[in-house]
Amino acid sequence: MSAVTVSARRGADGQAGPRRLPWRRMAGVTWRQHRLALAGVVVLLGALAVLLWVTGLPLHRAWAAAIACHPASSPGCQDLIGNFGASATGGGKTQGILLQVVPALIGAFAGAPVLARELETGTFRFAWTQGFARWRWALAKLVALPVILAALTAAFGVLVSWYYQPYAGGGPAGLYQNSPFGDLFSLREVTFPAWTVAAFAIAALAGMLIRRVVPAIVATLAVYAGLAFAAASFLREHYLTPLVTTSLELPGTSTAWVISQWFTKDGRFAFGGNPPLNILNQYCSGGKGAGPSFAPCLAPHGYTQWTSFQPASRLWPFQWIEGGWLLGLSAAIIAVTIWLVARRAA
Amino acid sequence: MQTATLTEEISPRPLPWRRMAGVIWRQHRLALAAVTVLLGALAVFLWISGLQVHHAWAAAAACRPAGSAGCQDLAATFNGTWNDMSIAAILLQVVPGLIGAFAGGPVLARELETGTFRFAWTQGFGRWRWALATLVALAVVLAVLTAALGALVSWCFGPFSAAGNQALGVYGDSPIVLVFGLRAVTFPAWTLAVFAIGALAGMLIRRVVPAIIAALAAYAGLAIAAVAFLREHYLTPLIASNPNLPGTAWVIGQWWTRDGRLAFAGNPPDGLTSTYCNFAQSPPGKSAGTGGGGGGNPWAACLGPHGYLNWTSYQPASRLWPFQWIEGGWLLALAVLLIAATLWLAHHRAA
Repeated sequence: MSAVTVSARRGADGQAGPRRLPWRRMAGVTWRQHRLALAGVVVLLGALAVLLWVTGLPLHRAWAAAIACHPASSPGCQDLIGNFGASATGGGKTQGILLQVVPALIGAFAGAPVLARELETGTFRFAWTQGFARWRWALAKLVALPVILAALTAAFGVLVSWYYQPYAGGGPAGLYQNSPFGDLFSLREVTFPAWTVAAFAIAALAGMLIRRVVPAIVATLAVYAGLAFAAASFLREHYLTPLVTTSLELPGTSTAWVISQWFTKDGRFAFGGNPPLNILNQYCSGGKGAGPSFAPCLAPHGYTQWTSFQPASRLWPFQWIEGGWLLGLSAAIIAVTIWLVARRAA
Repeated sequence: MQTATLTEEISPRPLPWRRMAGVIWRQHRLALAAVTVLLGALAVFLWISGLQVHHAWAAAAACRPAGSAGCQDLAATFNGTWNDMSIAAILLQVVPGLIGAFAGGPVLARELETGTFRFAWTQGFGRWRWALATLVALAVVLAVLTAALGALVSWCFGPFSAAGNQALGVYGDSPIVLVFGLRAVTFPAWTLAVFAIGALAGMLIRRVVPAIIAALAAYAGLAIAAVAFLREHYLTPLIASNPNLPGTAWVIGQWWTRDGRLAFAGNPPDGLTSTYCNFAQSPPGKSAGTGGGGGGNPWAACLGPHGYLNWTSYQPASRLWPFQWIEGGWLLALAVLLIAATLWLAHHRAA
């Protein structure tokens, strides 16, 4: 922070302009330098919004038809329920997974050139020696662009949440449901902008360190992939302590996110996950308890099944936790980047 | 071609092609190293998860008697691996696009953007031979690397489309559907097609980052078109009225006939099912989306006695390799065409 103060004072006193240029003058410069990137982001999000809208409407229609049908057990209704399941698990799933790359692409391609392009082409010698001090130049861009990106991606996240509604809507038995912590968790209106801004910040820092645009984009994509993988497989389940139950029917059965299962006998831990084969063949050979759940046939022999899970009602706390740490990370990375800009020998 | 002749007149003999090898290596070693690191990391991931899949499948296949609770547990374990592997398979679809765009976009665009083409293209080697050598050499290296990964993908996902899965009662998926574009023939073919698109976009746009973005967008459009519209028409689908297709068959369409005439397509209308079908319990429903392990059409049993015949058009799993070569063939032809157009542009561009 002392460095920032030093260079700010130098910018104010030591240069030709007697007064500091106002911040708003940077708006036009930022717009002219990055309008192509912003237009690209708008086109991409617009195309994806059309895609989500076009595929979301039949999904909503299939869902509305399935939950309006009475009685739910009639073959006609079962067919409607099956229709919804087919459209939800087919194209919908593929689409939800492929959309995960969008925050990374937007952040990397928008963030890497901000500093790396000036450094690679040498134009930083001109840009950073204007009356507007170089750290203010970097700060103005690295705040204005993420704010715009966050607004655009948050709007898109609202559309994703609309698209997702039928998966978590309740309804008759057998209707396909999905945990809100599944494929689309990181694409909602809080997490989508948070991941995009994080990718943008990583890209800006990578551009400052590597000083070349394309390698900075590649480095950002690699770091983002690692971070997203770590968040999805290791961090997310620990945001809040999971609930533990011995009930076989979880509240909101298929919308709960099951973290782990284990069995106890006589109050002591027996085994985790699926039962060992010898116990299964001893107690479950009668054909009961087929499929993944063996609790019904083991219960008479003193085994209790425990499940730890995150209920679907925790969606919004989880959204704000993930959005919070990502925004904190982004702010820290952008601060480091601006510090590097202020310290770098021009 | 005239320019080439002129170049030969200026320097008495054309420089040998092999002299370009060192230049290409020095200019593109960073890109090739990055591709190798990415493919190496993916290979480690595929190897580790492929071993788990193969172990789970072997355990489920070796279990006797097949109906026992223990065997069902092993089958459920194998089926459970599909959850993660299907996500991995979908995410892997972006890899050919990324490799092709980031390797192909800069080849000409970087020279044009930074102005170094004025130096590079005025050497004795001749500018179109310079472009040809660079594009062909990089394309061949990329094809070899991605074909190796494609073979690993085929091995890793092999158990899901093994022929005996239906008899074992475990999950089966068509080899022509999910990882079809990532196998030993199609993976390099897609990578080369995107590489050629990136090179041409770089020649036209003359800026690296926009060329990469254009290549990614073109790949997205082309891949969606191939998956959604083209692939199912590579060979005429087979037609069967047998409701018990293997789970590895790729079902294209379903319709019903009565007295030799088309009655309706897809699922039966409500009126018909409430008249004839009276399920005591909920029927199994259509096997959802990715083609579950067979079981046939739930409506065939109740509509069959009333003269309705269920027809299914499908692509059998045995057509995997013909389909691979068809898709690989048209993609390679497209790549060659685009590279030829790029060379023509490089040759004719006023330097």
